Amino acid sequence: MSGAQTSLSFRSNAGKAVGNQKLRAAMKHAADTFGTKRIDAFAPVADVEAMRDRASAIREEVLKNLPRYVDQFVASATRAGATVHRAKDATVAKEIIRKILADRGARRIVKGKSMVSEEVDLNAHLEAAGMEVVETDLGEYIIQLEGEAPSHIIVPAIHKDRRQVGKLFSERLGVPYSDDPQVLTRTARKVLREKFLSADAGVSGANFAAADTGSLVLFTNEGNGRMVTTVPPLHVAILSIEKMIPSLADFPDFIRLLPRSATGQTITSYVSVITGPRKPGDATGAKELHIVLLDNGRTEILGGESRDILKCIRCGACMNVCPVYRTVGGHAYGWTYPGPMGLILTTLLTGMAKSHPVVDASTLCGACVDVCPVRVPLVDIILQLRRRKVREGFSDPKEKAGMALFGKVAASPALFALGQRLAGRFWPVVRVLGGKDVAGRMPAPAKTPFRRKAP
Amino acid sequence: MSGPDLSARFLGNAAAAAAGAHSVSGTGDLLAALGRIVPAGSPVYCPGLTELEKAAAPLFPNRVADCMAAEVTVEEVFGAIAETGTIVCVSEGGRAVQAGLLPAHHVAIVRRDRIFATLDDLLAVVAGAPPTNITLVTGPSRTADIELTLAIGVHGPERLDVIVA
Ligand code: SF4
Repeated sequence: MSGAQTSLSFRSNAGKAVGNQKLRAAMKHAADTFGTKRIDAFAPVADVEAMRDRASAIREEVLKNLPRYVDQFVASATRAGATVHRAKDATVAKEIIRKILADRGARRIVKGKSMVSEEVDLNAHLEAAGMEVVETDLGEYIIQLEGEAPSHIIVPAIHKDRRQVGKLFSERLGVPYSDDPQVLTRTARKVLREKFLSADAGVSGANFAAADTGSLVLFTNEGNGRMVTTVPPLHVAILSIEKMIPSLADFPDFIRLLPRSATGQTITSYVSVITGPRKPGDATGAKELHIVLLDNGRTEILGGESRDILKCIRCGACMNVCPVYRTVGGHAYGWTYPGPMGLILTTLLTGMAKSHPVVDASTLCGACVDVCPVRVPLVDIILQLRRRKVREGFSDPKEKAGMALFGKVAASPALFALGQRLAGRFWPVVRVLGGKDVAGRMPAPAKTPFRRKAP
Repeated sequence: MSGPDLSARFLGNAAAAAAGAHSVSGTGDLLAALGRIVPAGSPVYCPGLTELEKAAAPLFPNRVADCMAAEVTVEEVFGAIAETGTIVCVSEGGRAVQAGLLPAHHVAIVRRDRIFATLDDLLAVVAGAPPTNITLVTGPSRTADIELTLAIGVHGPERLDVIVA
């Protein structure tokens, strides 16, 4: 994640985001577009629920036997000629990658989109070692030029409009100003094509890994993923351990579900299956392939009550339908992963102490659960995390005291009536005591309580 | 599903993904179609690895040996998937996987008997011992990263034509 984690300031982050009309309009546009396209894309598919069940069962099976699938993947990828590294945390992963690159004298690095590399903050580490790291996904490239973090896992620069991108390109790339997305895309194509052809190494993520063949599977639309993984002589892929799928033969349902859930496409322009580096007789492909498998807390999550979040295939559908995400956008969550899936991962991967306010970033409406292609029980997990937050003493003391008091008062009709009268009489004082974020936003109590109006 | 149905379904779905979709019968027909599709005189990469490619190659006076220098790639691909309108490119037999990626225009010829009905049918064939690179290609390269406005031809081809032969 570029920059420090700000999840503890979720409330003020959210407050600022809510005040940013432009951001809100962009977020809403994205969420509505993807939401609608998702529905349209699934409409002609006959057996969606059965498909989701099958995909969910495969993800369940992977989690049940994760260490075995990871070992199998390591063995088969090695057999295919790749070098596999296992990294227990972010620091180790970054250092492994820096060393692979440095040992081969690689200085110019082209990168494909990878949330895991954001999670470990890879770019900063490589740049500190004097390497040039260029993001090649158009959205990622835009925010890299601007020095920002992605606000959406599928459309990282969704918070920027075409005029902002046009201005950025003309200032930083020295091209005439244009705000036509097609022209801007062509500019990026030209600039980045040179980067691809002169790169010493490509660094990518992967959407999935097939345990039986040691293959990496990548879904992309632009073609930059194909460039990064096949044009430079060296390819380094970083992915987290839970991305395993038992066999390549298991992929059809995931190919049907992931793009539909993510962008409403029947299939992405490209689905690449990469098995080992270039072999004798191959005309192209990276000569050397290194795969870094990141744990970074996953094994611990696997042993805990919230393990089902590891079923997630990062489609982003849960965000697009989340009323909180749609309003505050991705940056407010303060770490790599936003939305319902993101607040769970943030809490589990960075710890309650660094993230507890984001546990509140849900209305528990369940829209996320309705759309999740692999049936992650997001609401149940958020409730588990809220209980943990209270247990571990991270709830706001005022909220705790208030709830305890309300519990007592609500249990006694006499006290409740008294409370109502007092609240009505002293409302201006209550508003101040209750804080401007809570009581300050509540309407004043009715003169005659509803209880007494009822027959 | 029978041959002609598969072919029609493939071409329909490919067209829906913004590919140019063509069907030909016989070599003469193929060459005529290529003559219409490939702009005359443009530098063409046509590796000549298969019978169809060998038949097509003489059509292009300006043939280049390196796909990097080409504006158009004309090649026969491993197969196609009717369900999604996808062509399947693999790195087998000395085929350059970037041939369908670097030039701005990709013309893919697929033999009628190489059209798989579904993703499952294709993956069943390649699952056991996959070649180094398998790429499923559906339509041209695209992005919606700027205001979700569709733009074609980001890093891959801006034009894809598929020909069932
Ligand atoms: S939790 Fe489900 S809906 Fe959300 S990103 Fe993961 S797979 Fe998609």
